[in-house]
Amino acid sequence: MRRVLNTPDFRAGFVEMLPACLGLIPFGLVCGVGAATAGADLLGALGMSAIIFSGAAQILASQLLAAGAPVAVVILTCAVLGLRFLMYSAAMAPALRTLSAPWQRAVSFLLTDQVFAASIRKFDAHGDPRGAAFHFLGGGMALWSTWQVDNVVGYFAGNVIPASWSLEFTVPLCFIALLAPALRGTLPTIAAVTAGVAVIALAGLPMRLNLVVAGILGIIAGTIAELLGERWKAR
Amino acid sequence: MEGALKLWIVILAVGALNYASRLSFIAFFARRSMPPLLARALRYVPPAMLMALIVPMVLAPMPGVETIDPRIPAAMVAGVVAWRTRSQLQTMFAGMVSLWLMQAALAHLG
Repeated sequence: MRRVLNTPDFRAGFVEMLPACLGLIPFGLVCGVGAATAGADLLGALGMSAIIFSGAAQILASQLLAAGAPVAVVILTCAVLGLRFLMYSAAMAPALRTLSAPWQRAVSFLLTDQVFAASIRKFDAHGDPRGAAFHFLGGGMALWSTWQVDNVVGYFAGNVIPASWSLEFTVPLCFIALLAPALRGTLPTIAAVTAGVAVIALAGLPMRLNLVVAGILGIIAGTIAELLGERWKAR
Repeated sequence: MEGALKLWIVILAVGALNYASRLSFIAFFARRSMPPLLARALRYVPPAMLMALIVPMVLAPMPGVETIDPRIPAAMVAGVVAWRTRSQLQTMFAGMVSLWLMQAALAHLG
């Protein structure tokens, strides 16, 4: 363990994640506030940040629980949101193949949008799986530990933060930071625009189900557009 | 159902599902390649889900705002910065500063 913590790749991963951790502070605070608003006690708030460990899922779960949505709807919404981890997992798998099974099980837990984005860039640039794995572990540990602190501070400081700061706006900003790089190319843009239009058109659905349905419609639109494009080219 | 019980069911179920998704191809199907159609579809999960999350957060009506909603231009500025820099921190900074400036300007114009 100590040998791992002393590798330059682990340290680089840890240090390179710190700016993103700084950027995520307001998001973590908002998640903590959300947990408090949903009526969670401190242990529940920590359970969300430590076990779910996904800001998007935490904020949605808090909002839905506060609105009195049934447990099944909360789980379904968060599950669809979590589908993106399947893709990250597949993309990270080659980089983590050299690790032993217990290590794989441990580091997988730390897979998030931000750490994935940083480590996959590193792996693509160097192609060194062992270095990428340590880099990933460093980034993941930096993010997980700071995320717990952000959430707990948010949980307690929620009613101290002035509403005029509009802290909750940092949540869509966080997603915009993740979305913009994902929009390179026509097909992802088709998927995103479809989902964006659908989420408004379906706003009448109860319990924010428009979110899940719009997401699925966007995924289908992107996939169909890709298949049609290939058929077109094959002619 | 009691609130705390409900919360913990959600924490454990979503935590388990997230962990299973994170672990999936790293551990379970490591020796197998992904079915091609699934691989395609998954590529569109981030753009579609993120957009579905962002749009209602930016467009949902804000109480007391009757003129231009400052969140829309602020989100656009953030989008341009995110596209150019790919930096979480700079996107956040640009978005919040534009929001505050717009709010101050609108308040000033009354």
